[in-house]
Amino acid sequence: MSMLCEGRVALVTGGSRGLGRAICLALAREGAIVAFNYLKADADADATVALIEAAGGRASAHKVSVLDKPGLAELVRSLDRGHGKIDILVNNAGYGQVVPLALMEESDWDEMLDTHVKGAFLTTQAVLRIMVRERFGRVINVSSLAGIKMMQAPVHYATAKAALKGFTESLAKEVGRYGITVNCVAPGILDEGVSDHLPPARREEYLRHCALRRVGRLDEAADMIAFLASDRASYTNGATLVVDGAV
Amino acid sequence: MDCTSCNTTPTRPDRPHTFFAHAQDTCPECATPVEARVVLRDGRVVHLLRCAACGPQEREVSADAAAYVRSFLARGVVPDGLVGDHLFKHTTSTCPGCLALVTAQVVIRKGQVFFLKDCARCGPSEALVSEDASYYVKAYSFARAGTEPLMFRNTVEHGCPTDCGTCDDHEQHTCLPIVEVTDHCNLECPICIVDNQYSNHMAPATFATIVDGLVEAEGTCESLALSGGEPTSHPDILGLLDIANRPEIGRVVLITNGIRLGKDRAFAQALKDRGVYVGLQLDGFTADVHTRIRGRDLVAEKTAALAALAELDIPTQLIFVATRGVNDHQIGQVVELFLSGPHFLSLNFQPVAYTGHGGGTFDHDPNNRLTIPGVIRRIDEQTAGKVNYTDFFPLPCSHPQCVSLTYLLRLDDGTSIPFARFVDFEKHATLLRSSATLPATAEVEDALIDVIHDVFARQDEIPRGTEILAALRRSLDEMFPKQPLSPREAFRVSERQSKSIFLHHYMDRHDFDLERLRKCCHHYPQIDGRIMPACGFNMFHRGAAKGPGTPRAKFGRAPFSLPVVT
Repeated sequence: MSMLCEGRVALVTGGSRGLGRAICLALAREGAIVAFNYLKADADADATVALIEAAGGRASAHKVSVLDKPGLAELVRSLDRGHGKIDILVNNAGYGQVVPLALMEESDWDEMLDTHVKGAFLTTQAVLRIMVRERFGRVINVSSLAGIKMMQAPVHYATAKAALKGFTESLAKEVGRYGITVNCVAPGILDEGVSDHLPPARREEYLRHCALRRVGRLDEAADMIAFLASDRASYTNGATLVVDGAV
Repeated sequence: MDCTSCNTTPTRPDRPHTFFAHAQDTCPECATPVEARVVLRDGRVVHLLRCAACGPQEREVSADAAAYVRSFLARGVVPDGLVGDHLFKHTTSTCPGCLALVTAQVVIRKGQVFFLKDCARCGPSEALVSEDASYYVKAYSFARAGTEPLMFRNTVEHGCPTDCGTCDDHEQHTCLPIVEVTDHCNLECPICIVDNQYSNHMAPATFATIVDGLVEAEGTCESLALSGGEPTSHPDILGLLDIANRPEIGRVVLITNGIRLGKDRAFAQALKDRGVYVGLQLDGFTADVHTRIRGRDLVAEKTAALAALAELDIPTQLIFVATRGVNDHQIGQVVELFLSGPHFLSLNFQPVAYTGHGGGTFDHDPNNRLTIPGVIRRIDEQTAGKVNYTDFFPLPCSHPQCVSLTYLLRLDDGTSIPFARFVDFEKHATLLRSSATLPATAEVEDALIDVIHDVFARQDEIPRGTEILAALRRSLDEMFPKQPLSPREAFRVSERQSKSIFLHHYMDRHDFDLERLRKCCHHYPQIDGRIMPACGFNMFHRGAAKGPGTPRAKFGRAPFSLPVVT
């Protein structure tokens, strides 16, 4: 069976660990050349690259913030120079923070929205130039069930993840004419990553309502993203696919 | 497809075909030679013929329009080593001696295009029609379907140009109506293309009737130009402007030599107060040029007019009649002036037409004259790279040989850059169909979105790419501010985002081409309701094609005469 993303060049934001790493691994396994950025964790980034290379894939790690516009521009330029294109962008960079609104600082709000939403905007704008030029692209934004359904989650996190759904739908309309699809994946609770800090009561409540009676694995969400990045999903556009085991 | 002013009238239908050219043919019934309209329809090529004996006929000549056009354009390629003339096509022109309609061979000679004609009465003649055969041939690839008026004012009885007015064989509606409101003038221009009789000023009621008729035929008009004679000599010109200022008319333009503007500040202010646009004749900057073209030194008057327009920030079109050996060395200077003022919206070069009261007798050589490519060449040479030869494209709204244009985007530092530097006009021909501003149609919006994304994607490759993106962003901010603009305000703001340079070559007895007249969209509305295509009117219906006293051609009818104001 042929690989889903053979010959494609992918950029994943926040790819050093957690779901980001799983996405990088999935895309590389499906034949893509993977580049990812990260903010701090050099060792984790190195580990992601090593895992991919050990499996016979090609990967590169780039220490640049998704809020660093010039840095992103240079990253995109270097990938374009090296590969002549960028086919796939996964806006994954983000983090979780357990804090009720009553205790939320303005800086908490700003940082959450900036990282998830402004980061997706800046990275997409930088990469889109290449995709428009090539008349092809796959943009996948990583949202969350917290941004889709009414559930107990930090308000700023839910707001940011909900914003990515709107970002997806509007951008899909705007750039579909250039052969670029934009989709959104909203995972439920996964066994690693931002769900690590979930209070036990929230996790138990989730499991009570989930038809599959378990949390998801990182690779289950990552595989959906790899599928959306492939030609098999060529007519899927502007969609938000929920990967939650049916909550 | 729609052009300039069509966008606001959805009920104005497209023509059922794209008019392409004229070609020689014979009536399928009686084999009489008849000139055919070549039209592209549903991917096929059809000859539409009107045989005097057998009536309307049509004959399909190709089932593949794209292949036909490629083959047509290939006929314009001169074989290597050819000595002498290369025949490109045929058309119908006029004998320069007696104005009879005659067949013309369109030939390419040393990179230029000539008409070769042979009148049974007057003998052979030649005329230069384009100084660049490549431009001339390629222009045909810009042919696009025209739009019909809501109603035609005439039916086909004798054929073009006798049935002007327009008849239902005409291939474009009225994009630019021009009403001559007086035949009085305060100049006697040696180059004048009309035939002033100093007999009357149009009565306001008459003018209102003409505008009513125009609106009835067109629905809406992007602009309406008042001309003459010198329209500012009309005793009630402000009243006429008030009549023209109605919702169906987007822009009211006063075409003037500027003498009154410079002297009469209250009059200039009155134009400003009415939102009137001014089309200022400005053919040069020196006394000798003015004297040869306009009959006397006008430097002071033009300077005063320009000062008034700048001071009052009146939206202005500059009109430069370009004449070989007279003012063609000042072409760059007028471009520089045009680029220097934000109130200058467009610059219209008119390679001189040797017709009318003055132009018909103006000293000239029909084989050594300015044509559109020659003016563009001089713009290129005299503006040090600001505007280049390749920045211009034929305008498909009219016949592609009639008008050439370029748009210039205003950058944030006050300079302008031609759209052709960052827009692929062969791909986005939609953007070329407008005459001054881009209409807010879905098709144009679509093209503009593509342009923005194209510049966005190629900003590192395109010279001044980031500045262009910044200017496009500024335009959006100005056109769509947080507090919405009224439609009129939005119109005013949007038209200042870019400038345009047009070249419009009116025809005369030497280079007249019936094919071009067929798609003329610059029209003179008349009192009897007829809307006369400009060059047909100037050539045949005014009766001054060779200067005063020219016998009116038997196939031309006199325009309905204007009543005298008493």
